[in-house]
Amino acid sequence: MHKIESKNVNFNYGEFQALHDISISMKENTVTALIGPSGCGKSTYLRLLNRMNDLIDNTQMTGSILIDGKDIYEKHTNVDDLRKNVGMVFQKPNPFPKTIFENVAYGLRVNGITDKKIIEERVITSIEQVALWDEVKDKLKKSAFELSGGQQQRLCIARALAIQPSVLLMDEPTSALDPISTSKIEELIYELKNKYTIVIVTHNMQQAGRVSDNTAFFYMGRLIECDKTKTIFTKPAIKQTEDYITGRFG
Amino acid sequence: MASHLETELGKLKNIIIKIGNLAESQVSEAMKSLLSEPGSETKEVKKTENKIDKLDVKIDDICQSVFALQQPVASDLRFIMSAMQISNQIERIGDLSMSIIKLSKSIKEKHELITKFDIVTIAREVEMVTLKTNECFENLDEPTIEEIFILNNTIKDKSSDAIDNIIGEMKNNSKTVVSGTNLILALKHIERISDHCTNIAESVYFMINAKTIKHEKFIEKK
Repeated sequence: MHKIESKNVNFNYGEFQALHDISISMKENTVTALIGPSGCGKSTYLRLLNRMNDLIDNTQMTGSILIDGKDIYEKHTNVDDLRKNVGMVFQKPNPFPKTIFENVAYGLRVNGITDKKIIEERVITSIEQVALWDEVKDKLKKSAFELSGGQQQRLCIARALAIQPSVLLMDEPTSALDPISTSKIEELIYELKNKYTIVIVTHNMQQAGRVSDNTAFFYMGRLIECDKTKTIFTKPAIKQTEDYITGRFG
Repeated sequence: MASHLETELGKLKNIIIKIGNLAESQVSEAMKSLLSEPGSETKEVKKTENKIDKLDVKIDDICQSVFALQQPVASDLRFIMSAMQISNQIERIGDLSMSIIKLSKSIKEKHELITKFDIVTIAREVEMVTLKTNECFENLDEPTIEEIFILNNTIKDKSSDAIDNIIGEMKNNSKTVVSGTNLILALKHIERISDHCTNIAESVYFMINAKTIKHEKFIEKK
């Protein structure tokens, strides 16, 4: 069984159809990169995976998305539970105006965990998972805004991990970061796939090559090709994909 | 935390060391066959040859992936470029060793010719140059590069002398023509093995110094 399975997904912003008949399957503990030019629908598709598009008015989705075999758009789906299971990291680091510790603990507290020991353990584990512990262990009570951009983004990933999701969505997580921080996040993604199923939207094709197992190429709301990243970057089946990855597009 | 690229490069280096060691053992088997010393069964030697071919393909595959997915630069780029060339050279060393083994079987007056023209020394030297080539790659050892070039020159000189003498022998004794011809071919193969080792040393030099010394007289240049 696939971890994530989309079947014939269509999505409209009002009259505008942003996604056409998207079917993709993703295995557990893999990284899938979504690539394509701006406006191709990759971020729209990503946001469907934790129903973030529900927050936008006048949208409509058809088709089905299954996570662990359950249709997440089914009537009785608890969206809060879904978002606990499907964490998300955004383009710009968005720490809360709180301490480093409280940023990671926040999700736990919101979800009703009050046991201090459990909270402390989860915070430490999550910060360790994102390889940030050595850098922040002596300043956990300082504001998260004192951290560098790259550290803030890793903190946001730690915040997402603290509530123990099984899927992690990343929407251009390094586009606002310098090359060193980018490299750290990429290595982190590579490490995290042992525990999580990751879907990442990236404008950086080289990044897709470096971090992902599978790559899906979107163009004008359609899924043009989805295959192993090595195949996409060495011998794509569709000419449009080849043109895009070789920079001969348009 | 070692980067993914570093892990891939480490894996690649280990495979090249492995294929290099296999080729070294094939050269050794070829020399045993040439000198009529006891060696491994032909079946085993063929198995090793197959392993070399498979590793050669595997190395190409890894290099292709690293180029396409990791965008190596600087020393990483030089390593990958060299790895592809080295693997190709090693695979050729394996092929030549097999050819020497086949040729050796058709040299009837082997003992007489080998002893008379001191083929033993040439055989030991080609084993030495192969060993040194593997060490040179494994340790990225620049001084060994020069030793390899010197050994290659020695092998070529001795082989050239031996070939002249074998031709002389064939002129005087027509019975030795078939064996002599095969031995000359075997010596030419030995020279090629040594050349491939030199090419590998050039690749190692490129890896270390980012400078191409192909087609240059390395020793004279130094």
